[in-house]
Amino acid sequence: MPRVKIYQFYLIKTSILNYREVDGSYNVAVAVVNLFKNLVTQEKWNTAKDLINLIKTCGKLLVKELPLQTSAENMIRRMLKIVRDEYTTACHEQEELDIQESLHKIVTSEEEIDDYSKTVAELKDSILDHISEFHMELETSIENITKEAIKHIHTSEIILTIGKSAIVEAFLKEAAKHRKFEVIVCECSPLNYGHNTAISLSQSKIPTTLITDSSIFGIMGRVHKVIIGTHTVMANGGLRAVCGTHSVALAAKYYSVPVIVLAGLYKLSSQYLISHEDKFNQFISPESVLKYSEGILTSLVHVYNPTFDYVPPELVTLFISNAGGHAPSYVYRLLSEMYHQDDNDL
Amino acid sequence: MEKIGERYSLLSYIREYFCKILHEEKDLSPGIAAIKTLLYVLENDKSETVQELDSNFQTTIDIMRNTDVPVTSVASGCELFLRFITFAKLDYKTFDECKKVMFHRGKIFMKKLTNARGKIAKLASTFITDNSRILVHSKSRLVLKAMEHAVSLHKHFRVFVTYSSLDNSGKEMADELKNIGVPCTVILDSAVGYIMEQVDMVMVGAEGVAESGGIINQIGSFTMAICAKEMKKPFYVLTESFKFTRLYPLNQRDLPNEFKYTSGHLRKDLSKEHPLVDYTPPSFITLLFTDLGILTPSAVSDELIKLYL
Repeated sequence: MPRVKIYQFYLIKTSILNYREVDGSYNVAVAVVNLFKNLVTQEKWNTAKDLINLIKTCGKLLVKELPLQTSAENMIRRMLKIVRDEYTTACHEQEELDIQESLHKIVTSEEEIDDYSKTVAELKDSILDHISEFHMELETSIENITKEAIKHIHTSEIILTIGKSAIVEAFLKEAAKHRKFEVIVCECSPLNYGHNTAISLSQSKIPTTLITDSSIFGIMGRVHKVIIGTHTVMANGGLRAVCGTHSVALAAKYYSVPVIVLAGLYKLSSQYLISHEDKFNQFISPESVLKYSEGILTSLVHVYNPTFDYVPPELVTLFISNAGGHAPSYVYRLLSEMYHQDDNDL
Repeated sequence: MEKIGERYSLLSYIREYFCKILHEEKDLSPGIAAIKTLLYVLENDKSETVQELDSNFQTTIDIMRNTDVPVTSVASGCELFLRFITFAKLDYKTFDECKKVMFHRGKIFMKKLTNARGKIAKLASTFITDNSRILVHSKSRLVLKAMEHAVSLHKHFRVFVTYSSLDNSGKEMADELKNIGVPCTVILDSAVGYIMEQVDMVMVGAEGVAESGGIINQIGSFTMAICAKEMKKPFYVLTESFKFTRLYPLNQRDLPNEFKYTSGHLRKDLSKEHPLVDYTPPSFITLLFTDLGILTPSAVSDELIKLYL
């Protein structure tokens, strides 16, 4: 039985992901989609139920290897929703395609639950088509987001950003082709990702200022907009973003500055923040905070270097994704369209 | 003559049947007991037309609303049941066949509702982490079930329960929690502000969920929600989906009087009576745990619109 073969197959793939040959949530998402495309093409399966179980088993392995790469988990759930959708359209051609649990469904349902075990002709082809479409959507997500740039940035505005985000850079560069504005970049210590952003933006002839994290509150009074990227969008509309983002968001709230978050839909996760201690954050080497060369001090002091920050949804004004702009309170709707409830615990 | 006599006897038995269910199965919410009663009426009904059946249902609902039970969940449960009746495909030759179909669907409906509790308990127990301190308001069967589930997952946590001086139900909740092995402290209702800095989260049940996403729950919940918001503690609500109702209260006085006072008290001078429930606006609620999944308050109106429009 190919079970052993699958396990080895994925061990190889995950070692690639772990050795950082594939880095950044976008690249991980694309790699995972390709992985599952191969899975659907190469492995043997008969019914949609088999395929769903296959994807879930492999997905569980993958998620175990990469606990904080939520884009991998999101892609797995998206694949599962694609399979369920294709099965439902094939089985019930004329009925509404809403396969989610809802009050309406509880009241009107006539049969018992569908368990996806009917054999459907050409399911494989329709699933592969759908996956290719989705892949295309992924590839054009940055373009679709940057298209919105001119709508949100106006002449002579002062934009604040923090850290390094490929989407934010592309967004600002696109707007710079049509408007003149200034950017203030927070350096995001201790790893100083902001330095690279500042260099890249100034090379595109955008007037850029680099500030330390401690001056965020002081500068915020002069800022017109805050535009940031994020690592993950949580299911309640909150963010898991680079450490320092919460301070930016709080300062922006104080001065009533709109906070715009740019995130592709592949970053939208169905996880909620359960507790700060539990699987939310990643702590990396404290070397950059307190150098080892400080000697005896390092054994007397606890030093932490967290990677992420939680930003509650009340502090975010707008999300711009490849599907357009949404309020944080609308995130639940996007979730129900993209993922199925039964896939919430893989 | 005989038919009227039978109808009369069926309806007069309803009150006893409803009270019997409430008394014997203390574990059931009044809303589910009401739906069970309506199913019983459907089963034993001898009417010949849909209109007669409908008027029997209305009379039954009025009778149930006049008992001394909090009316909120009864009202929403019954409305949902009637909605379910009107959705049935009624193109059968005889009315009896029609009724059989309705009854069959009623059974499926009941099964889904009774399974709801397990789902919600499972969802909510993932949010109960080790060493957390939870504040609970008075007695809620759902919250109890969620905590039982968390205990079965070997989590250790403490609970603070408000005394709830309306009917001292907080004491009952504390006893039940002690039985399942959760360390529990009963606090005065007025101590909510004092204790809020020590707890990690607040978990309450709900008697009704308004269309705005706000909840109608035992008096004192609103105060607790305000304190939680001020001290930045998450406020979680556990509720079944049949409690969603099409009310949109703008303030406390907007709640219908029959929700706030029992039928016996409604006849007296209301300015001297104490309300049983209050309304907590959606801005104070962090998340709602329902059998439809974990919802933000803004998702509630979406669900209701999908059902009623």
